[in-house]
Amino acid sequence: MTDSPDFLIPVPTRGDGRDPLRRDRGDWQPAARRPLPALVTDLRPGAFGPFEHLAQIGRAAEIAGLGGALVPFDPAGEESLVVAAGLLRQSRHLRVVAGFHPGIATPVYAAKFSASLQRFVDNRLGWQVDIGLDPAIARSQGDFLQGADRYARAEEFLTVARGVWNEEGYTYEGRFYQVLAGGFQPPNSGLPFPRVYLTGTSSDALAVSARHADVHLFTGDQDVAAGIAELGARSAEAGRRLEYGLRLPVLARDDDDEAWDEARRLWNIIGGTGDGLPDPDPRTGLWHGFGRIADSAKPGLVGSYETVAAGIRGYLDQGVTTFVLEARPHIEETYRLGERLLPLFAKEIEHAH
Amino acid sequence: MPIDIYWRIGTHGDQQSLRRRVSSRGEWAPVVPGSLTPGVRDGRRDGYSYVDHMADVARASESSGFVGGLLPSFPFTDDPWAAAAALARETTTYRFMIAYQPGFLHPVQAARMSASLQRVTGGRVVYNIISGGGGPAQLWWGDRVDHDDRYARTSEFLDVLKGVWNGGPFDYEGRFYQVEGAGLPEPLARQPFPEIYFSGSSKAAIEAAGRHADYYLSWLEPFPELAAKFVQVREHSAALGRAPKFAVRIDVLARETEEAAWDEIRRGWTHVDQAALRSPDGDSVGWLRSQSFVSWPVRDYRELEVSPNVWSGFHLLRGGPAFGLVGSYEQVAERLDELIGIGVDAFILAGVPHLEEAYRVGEEVLPLLRGHDIRQASPLSPHTSLSVAKGTI
Repeated sequence: MTDSPDFLIPVPTRGDGRDPLRRDRGDWQPAARRPLPALVTDLRPGAFGPFEHLAQIGRAAEIAGLGGALVPFDPAGEESLVVAAGLLRQSRHLRVVAGFHPGIATPVYAAKFSASLQRFVDNRLGWQVDIGLDPAIARSQGDFLQGADRYARAEEFLTVARGVWNEEGYTYEGRFYQVLAGGFQPPNSGLPFPRVYLTGTSSDALAVSARHADVHLFTGDQDVAAGIAELGARSAEAGRRLEYGLRLPVLARDDDDEAWDEARRLWNIIGGTGDGLPDPDPRTGLWHGFGRIADSAKPGLVGSYETVAAGIRGYLDQGVTTFVLEARPHIEETYRLGERLLPLFAKEIEHAH
Repeated sequence: MPIDIYWRIGTHGDQQSLRRRVSSRGEWAPVVPGSLTPGVRDGRRDGYSYVDHMADVARASESSGFVGGLLPSFPFTDDPWAAAAALARETTTYRFMIAYQPGFLHPVQAARMSASLQRVTGGRVVYNIISGGGGPAQLWWGDRVDHDDRYARTSEFLDVLKGVWNGGPFDYEGRFYQVEGAGLPEPLARQPFPEIYFSGSSKAAIEAAGRHADYYLSWLEPFPELAAKFVQVREHSAALGRAPKFAVRIDVLARETEEAAWDEIRRGWTHVDQAALRSPDGDSVGWLRSQSFVSWPVRDYRELEVSPNVWSGFHLLRGGPAFGLVGSYEQVAERLDELIGIGVDAFILAGVPHLEEAYRVGEEVLPLLRGHDIRQASPLSPHTSLSVAKGTI
């Protein structure tokens, strides 16, 4: 069976801009915004807040036919649950995945917040639970747990969140959490639990994923085939079947030459013309230069719409069905993907329905 | 100083009136013909939900003169943070008073959510910090910290929240929280800090309120008891060099005439379950206090009128606190003026149904308030004692 590909975009919660590293859209760097000359009437000051642009990106994703949007946990960006709630409230179909780490709240509170949101927006919320944080960042969030303990807590967090979600009178006694006679009542009970997206390649990460992930997200620098094989075996043991996803920067244009010209243009904006554009990896076809021209430092695909589609199809054949397509600036590139790339998967999408 | 008057947005459905204790708004009760916004229409999901009704209540009270709305939080209600985040862009001036218990969210996360909400709303977030409640409900939340320790945790929580608010790096080593190199990132830092409405009637609460409250928030009580409570908080706060304002949360049943108002109560009273007249639950000192002003058992609803227009039976007609005001528009306005006279600076008013009553109270009661003249003339005026207290600092 071919699963239908599900395409998401990441939401830029620390600004967006036309060129690499420019963050002047969304009021993130107000000083960087080029003012209109004084002779031109400007009615904007005071009329727009920083969330206008985020809302515009959510609408773009929905209008362009993307299945969803991923709001990352980013200690240097806007808070993801607040952004997700706003995007969900202002859309009709878009699924929104909010990223957070288990230290932000008790599992009961995270579940309670999410149950309300699920009801408000007809069950379109997902969770990306980030377990392995950089230790210094974790401490800045008040979270001093390290190593294997982080995965043990995540395991309990997801267990308790599902427990109160699904079972009235739920009781739990663990290392990290306790609940006595908990559990939601109607109408907060009986809802679909948020789809859980997890990441990581360590044995601890894979163990938690096998038991709790709905979708395990990879990046192009990881051994996706080996990860899928390992998770397939582990999740089968747990009596579950996971779906697999990939975070994938893309730069797609009418033909390969145009795409590479654009890559070169962006590359040269940062760092001048002193160093040459790296070639894509001959084995995987992935280009490792996105770290310099996009938000993500992960490898991705450059080329014509057909070239990029062929690369995605290679992952589809391996069992990857969720693609988080990263492209800047978000609105223009999201429209482009909706009009030119997604139609190339019309057959797969129709087949699955 | 102007008086801030808030309304309340129910997070647990609503009744069509106080006459029948039946929730027909949202999907909080079995869906029957006449249920509004349950998310289903003609047997199909229709994309609407209770939050659409909450948005109506927010817009109704915003346009009829309230500065904002309290979003309450209990185990079986909707979550105020989720509601505020969903409704943020659908109002213009309306402040969202988010009720929460410190400890369920980490203070750094609460700071991040608040700062993003301040950015999306242009600074319209207000906190209603609750630490009590307790009893079985506290374990429902997965919280084992006991009553008095919860106030110590609240203090630490606010220390950390305020510590990271203006950027970092901020370090903290407490009993409940530790952070290292913390601080909100640049565009989130230095948003206006939410005003804090602090609830709690116990000694521990009043001590913590002295440290952190912008407004000390109480349920309505008989006015002399309320005035005495304010004196206590004022003294505690003065010792810490602070002078909080006072707010009262009041249910209002106002009609054109006093008779019409009591007639509403009479109709509701015929459905009251007589066996459920007294059921204190939990370790909330406020709830026990509210029950102590009445001699139970009660045979007639007018026995619950502890002083003119102050009725302590609202909990029998809908979920929530017991005390509220019943009377003509003029009488209710006079009672509110008296409360302003004893030092109240802000109100959280509510009426059932919240949507329609927001218009009624906004249109018929609020325009009658005289406030300031009354305060100067009141024998219980706070100004003398307050200035004395200030003089001792």
